[in-house]
Formats: sequence, structure tokens, C-alpha cells
Amino acid sequence: MTDLVAQLLARRLLLVTGKGGTGKTSVAAALGRLAADAGVRTLVVELGHAAVLPDLLGAQRASGDRPREPLAAGPNLFTLRLIPEDALLEYLELQLRVRRLARGIVGNAGFRRFLEAAPGWRELITLGKLWHMVTREDARGRPVWPLIVIDAPATGHGLSLLSTPTVILDTVRLGPLRRNTDLVQALLTDASRTLVLIVSLLEELPVNETLELRARVRELGLGLGPVIANGVEPPLVLPDAERVLEVVASLDGANAPSPLADPRAICASARHRLSRARMHAGFLERLARETASAPLVLPWLEQGVDGPDGVAQLARHLRRALEQSTDEVRA
Amino acid sequence: MKPERWLDCRVLVTVGTGGVGKTTVAAALGLAAARAGKSVLVMTIDPARRLADALGTGPLGHEPRAVPVERLRAAGVTGGGTLSALMLDTKRTFDELVLRFAPDPAARERIFSNPIYRNLTDALGGSREYSAMEKLRQMHVEGRYDLIVLDTPPASHALDFLDAPRRLAGFLESQFLTVLLHPAAVVGRASLRLFRSGSELVLKGLERITGLEFLTSISEFLLAFEEMLGGFSERAREVSRLLRDPVCGFVLVAGPDLQQARSAESFWQRLQSEGIQLAGLVLNRVHAWPGAGAAPADDAAEADRAVEWLAGEIASRAPELDALGSARALVAATRAQAALARRDSGVRERLERALPLEPEAVRAIPLFAEDVHELEALARMARLIFDEPERV
Repeated sequence: MTDLVAQLLARRLLLVTGKGGTGKTSVAAALGRLAADAGVRTLVVELGHAAVLPDLLGAQRASGDRPREPLAAGPNLFTLRLIPEDALLEYLELQLRVRRLARGIVGNAGFRRFLEAAPGWRELITLGKLWHMVTREDARGRPVWPLIVIDAPATGHGLSLLSTPTVILDTVRLGPLRRNTDLVQALLTDASRTLVLIVSLLEELPVNETLELRARVRELGLGLGPVIANGVEPPLVLPDAERVLEVVASLDGANAPSPLADPRAICASARHRLSRARMHAGFLERLARETASAPLVLPWLEQGVDGPDGVAQLARHLRRALEQSTDEVRA
Repeated sequence: MKPERWLDCRVLVTVGTGGVGKTTVAAALGLAAARAGKSVLVMTIDPARRLADALGTGPLGHEPRAVPVERLRAAGVTGGGTLSALMLDTKRTFDELVLRFAPDPAARERIFSNPIYRNLTDALGGSREYSAMEKLRQMHVEGRYDLIVLDTPPASHALDFLDAPRRLAGFLESQFLTVLLHPAAVVGRASLRLFRSGSELVLKGLERITGLEFLTSISEFLLAFEEMLGGFSERAREVSRLLRDPVCGFVLVAGPDLQQARSAESFWQRLQSEGIQLAGLVLNRVHAWPGAGAAPADDAAEADRAVEWLAGEIASRAPELDALGSARALVAATRAQAALARRDSGVRERLERALPLEPEAVRAIPLFAEDVHELEALARMARLIFDEPERV
């Protein structure tokens, strides 16, 4: 295992976030695949309503809408959809040690309406559950989940999630809530255990958002892994491009033997690719400059990442990018 | 609904998952309405600095900022239309509500100094959605604009904001809250005994977990808010009505890949279940086929013929060039473009089948090679939506 691969997989919690539409879920799945293939028992967690990871990783879907236990997606690879309402019930049972009392609370109609609108508790209970899974040990004292990869929400909600402990610690000075939040915060801000990985596209808005997000994550005291530039189109290698395109533009399309030889289509496609490549290169350089390390580049995959095959392909690219990187994750 | 009719709405809401270009489409819709002579406000969640630069408004903030007349003229707004933009500020929106509804300065101070309030309003989840809805309501009621375009938060559950008013009203009217606020008042009312015992159990259980101090902070916060609660509930209901009123149009923005198409479909189902009509669909960043007709099917033999012909033509016109290498690279790029164009038109057809929209209500915007955050690109997008739709 190369240094950067080993450094990432030695963490306990990898939070994958970034602007919406950058491919966070695919990257989180690929990271899980990569870790599992390297022999690390890995749990990939998705938050919220949509259950896309079972299909993406090729896990057998369980019967019932909300399985509480992780689903197996192959050797060492598991996936779980974490639903705050379920985690809350679990937590109350654990804390109150009286199942009936916990169910009484969660079943209370007034409390349910209160919960529907009360802000913050979903984030808190999500983090609490993650902490619980990270620290759980088997009978021989080994971690049950050596590595947990989170498909975290996009920037705004992702930051809400990560900043919730800070808010609670500001507000609550005593009691079990305080003690639990202290533990969660200690896990999150320990860069030897937890890293935030930001997925970006090499375009203006995602890059801006990535840089702002990094600054905010750092303010919150969390460790940052390398930026992952996803969906990067392969460059068009065309020496003397201007001269070649000039010649092609002068051809008579009526003689073209195929629509693929239509000079207009060729020139437009080539110019499009050249300008996209210029844009990509510019943003790659900006990311490298402003984060003082080279982003990991993942290519655009023509078939898309729509299932286990796509995830495996992306995982191979991710591994290659990590192996080629000369950077280190600074803890 | 045809795009020209979108502009007859008083409120246009752009919805869609993150990264599909909602903010840009919202700005383009605003620009188009301004060109039709309307006075328009675009409300965004995004810091959208480049957009602000392009519009020349300076950094966007909590109050509307007008786009300077010369910029508008450059973007084709000549008939007296105006365009303003603001960026939603959660904390400020809540502060304004408190300032407006607090019964006296002491109550106001109690709220502003409460630790829950200080943190809740800008850090905790859900409050952004509340404040987006509140600001929309406020600007709509003030009636300064013919049209308000709301760019919705790029949330993971991207339609959370639809729920926000209803959830807020439910929260404020919940009996649990009453008990939390007035445990004493409930005692003795026999009719409430059953409920009371349930809620007391809840309170006792919660206290064991959160500690008394946290519950006290919450009750103080809620007590301080109590006198304003009626106002909040009523406003939440008003927003809920506004979103379902025919003067309000929802424009779904989607990207052309399969995953984005799927989320667009689930968006639509969600809107439908909320009783909201969809005005139209903007399919953004579509790969166009630049040749004649539709993008050709992929065919290796065709590609070989294309390479052969192209290499021959290049070699005979410019012998100094690497004719074969260039021809291969060019045909490969063209094949890739054709593949993307085929994928995108497939997604478009799928969405046209899945969504109950007349063909004119669907507009495709090609993926621009240049930076879309320039005014000219925005104007081009507006033209593509309203005046000169391209079949891409």
C-alpha cells in the first residue's frame, strides 16, 4: 500500500462532501470499494431519504424499507442508511435503559410534531450514531468498523452537520448531552481519526465552493484530506490544433463519407473539448495553488457510475490517483 | 405552460438538485422578465459572487440591490424593466421577525441574548428554509415587484423548504410546546390528563438525557417567542397558500445525465403530492450535436471511414501536419460528442415522457463553452428559454 492510500485507510471516519452534483455519492462508494479491496472492513453510510448505495455497491436489499443493520456488498464492504428518527429511538433506549419509556417518548404525538420542526437534533443524533459505530468493539476489543465512509450532505447542510457539536457545546454546559457531544467533537476534530474529503468539478462554482468549504471546515477544527477533482474530461491531444482546425473548416461537408466526418461537427466538437480542457487545467492549477497540494483527478467515465461496475472502475482510478500523488495527509 | 406565460406569474420558484445551475437559470429568468418590461427581484441562497459581478450589483446582501441601468441595457433590457437581486440571510430574517413582533424591548433582549436563539438562527439545519420562505412572503406582500424569482436552497432533500412553513406551524401549535411552556397551566384540566401524563413522561425522559439546563434554555427561548407565535403560525400558513396559488410557478431545473433525470422525476412526484403544479422544465448543460440532423449512432466502421477521409484531406492540403494522428484525435472527440448528445437527448425524451408538460414547456440550454457567469451568457440563456428555443 502506498503512503497516501495507507494514510487514508488508517483513518476511522472519512466524510465525503462538496457542492451538489459533483458526484459525492459515487466517490464515497468508490472509496469504500477501494478500502474493502485493500482488506479494510468498511461501512459506507448514506444519510437521509434516498437509498442509492445498495444499488450502487451491489448490496442485496433487505426486506422492509428501513433496515437497521448494515447490508453486505461483498467481502469487507457494507452499507447503511442512517435515518435520524431510528437513531433517536435507539439512543433513547440506550440512555434510558427502559425500552417502554423510549418508545413512549418517540410515540408521543406532541413530541413528534415538536421533532418535525425542531432544528439541529437530526444532525446531532446522526453524529452520535456515527461516534457510536466508530467506537464499538467486538468481544476481543477490536473495532467493529475500522473504517466508516460517509456520503455526507452537500456544502450547506454538510456544514450544518459538522458545526452542530460546536453549537451545542456553546449552549449546554452540563449533563449527559454535554458529555456525549464532547466525545463526538473529540472524534471529529482528531485528524488522525477523522478527515473531510471534498469532491469538486473543475469548474468555476464548484471550485469556489470547495475553497470556501475548506476554510470553514478548518475553522471548525476538522482535518482535511486531498481535494478530489471528479468527472475530468480527457484532454484532446492535437498538436498544431489551430492549423489543423483551419484545414478541417475549409473542407466541404458534402463530400464527407460519414456524419462523424462532418467538418462542422468535427470543428465544433474539437473546439468544445479544447476550451473545456483549458478551463479544467486552469481550475486544477488554482486548486493546487490555493490548497498547496495537487488534487486527486478522477476521469469522466463514459458509461457513468450507475452500479458496482462503475464504482469498481472509479475505485481503480481513485487508487491510481492516490498512488501517483506525492502529497501527504497532514494530521 | 409556455415560457412566455411563466413571466405572468408573481412568483417563480426554481427547484432542482445541487449543481444543475438553478441560480444561473433563476437569474436568466429574471433577466428575461426585465426584458419584458417587468420589475423583477431575484432571491438567491448562493453567495453567487460572479453573478453579482456580472450583474454589477456589488456583493449581494439581505436587501435588494438593483442592477445598474447600463448593464441592463447591455443585456437587452430597454423597455423600462428593472432587475434587482438579494441574497438570503437567515440570521437577519429571524432578527427582523423578532424586531417586528416582540411585544417590548425587554422581550426582544431576552430573545437576542438567549444562547439557543443566537446559535439556532445561523448554524442549525432547517432555519435556512424557514427564512427563505419568510423573506419570500415579506417581499411578496410588500408588492414592490411584478415578479419574484426564488432560487431554492440546494438541500439534500431539496424540497424541505416546502415543508418548512407547515412544520413551523405544526411545531408552534404542538401541545408538547404548551406543556413545555406552561406545565402548571395544564395541571388540573381533567380533559388533558391523559395527554399530560404522556408529555410529563417525555419531559422527564428528556431531562435525564439533555440535563435540566438545556431544557431550561429551550423553554426560555420558547417562552420569549410565545407572544409572537400567533404571528409566526399565520405567516407560515400564508406562505403555504402562496406556493400553491396559480400566481406561483415552479420551474424544474435538471441536468442531462441519468442520475439528475431521476432526481428530476422524484422532484416532480414530490411537487405533485404537495399539490403544486409544474410550470416548466429547463434542461441545463445539454450537449448539442453540432452537425446536421440528430447525433449519429456509434459505429466503428463509420469512424474508420471518417478517419481515412479526413486524414487524406488534411494530408493533401497541409502535408506538414500529422494527418493521421490529427484525424484520429478529431474523430475520437467527435464520437465522444455524439455519444454525449445521444445520451442527453435520450434523457430529454425520458423526462418529456415522465413529466406532464406540453413540449413548449420544456427548454434545453446547451453546455456553454464559455463562462456562463458573464452577462452576455446570461442574456443568451434568457433568449434560449424565451425567444429562440433550439432543438438540441
